[in-house]
Amino acid sequence: MKILPGIALLIAFVLACSEHSLAQTESFGIVKSVSGEVLISSTQRSVRAAPNMKIVQGDSIKTGEGGDVGLIFEDDTVVALGPNSEMKMESFLFSPVDHELSFVARLFKGTFSFITGQIAKLSPKNVKFETPDATLGVRGTKLLVEIH
Amino acid sequence: MIIRHIQPLFYCLIFLFFSGCAQKTTVVLLPDPNGQVGHITVANKAGAVDITHSSEATVVAGQESKPSTPEILTEDQIAAKFSRVLTTLPTQPEHFVLYFQTNSTELTAESQKMFPLILQSIKNRNSENISVIGHTDTVGDRDYNLVLSKNRASSVSHILVQNGVPSAYISTTSHGKENPLVKTGDNVSEPRNRRVEVVIR
Repeated sequence: MKILPGIALLIAFVLACSEHSLAQTESFGIVKSVSGEVLISSTQRSVRAAPNMKIVQGDSIKTGEGGDVGLIFEDDTVVALGPNSEMKMESFLFSPVDHELSFVARLFKGTFSFITGQIAKLSPKNVKFETPDATLGVRGTKLLVEIH
Repeated sequence: MIIRHIQPLFYCLIFLFFSGCAQKTTVVLLPDPNGQVGHITVANKAGAVDITHSSEATVVAGQESKPSTPEILTEDQIAAKFSRVLTTLPTQPEHFVLYFQTNSTELTAESQKMFPLILQSIKNRNSENISVIGHTDTVGDRDYNLVLSKNRASSVSHILVQNGVPSAYISTTSHGKENPLVKTGDNVSEPRNRRVEVVIR
């Protein structure tokens, strides 16, 4: 019986380590709120979104029939995806000191709301949303997009 | 036999093509939380359209057709399509800047008073993601200031933890003198650069 707490501790340790290594892969955003089914996937992983989960380069965010999700990025950009929506973060660079600034997201389908953050203030020409029909260049603002 | 199966599919496609059921993108511009209205350029192979007014929208049906002439949508029209994503949209992170005595991890009296506000914000936002970023002015060499900015960030993080914020929620970073708020020459004492920024997400 004494072995059980030991195993629990080991599992906790492994979880803590994997959490740590995940954080090391340059996360640039977090999941702030989730309802219904929402998946975060990349070539490395596919996980159900949960609050405070980290978002990294190349991640796709996909909501199910009744799902929605709110995201917050390092540069203060906030995003919401409605039901049946999908977006992929193509590029996020936020290093004002090195003048490395870029926010490029590909929107595949669904409904979206955005308030752009510091990247749009510092370098508006580097903020782009690609939809199947057009490219949106955005200069510091709140916007809504529907693809359907 | 095969043709009989394909035919309905073919008519279906024709119908979709002409009925406007084909996919399209709608873009709407709104004022930001400060009331400021920005600017969106919607462009594809067929042309480009700028939307610059509050509640103005354009519709694009495919890369080969030009974005429609901008039109102002009513509140009801916007709510019908977007009420859910407008409700889900998180509020933008809150930023606090705390200032320090010269060459020290001691906060100014003014900045010490900020903690209740910071703690309230963490609570209101239900935040589990807090960045604490330390900076210095340009007095002294690079390595010295890296350590000083790190100690400043640690001391702010320590106060937050003492006040019940789980340390797992906090990530501290330090920029030394590399990222001044106010640009100065080297070896310049500048109170506004002796700071720690707290970002609550």
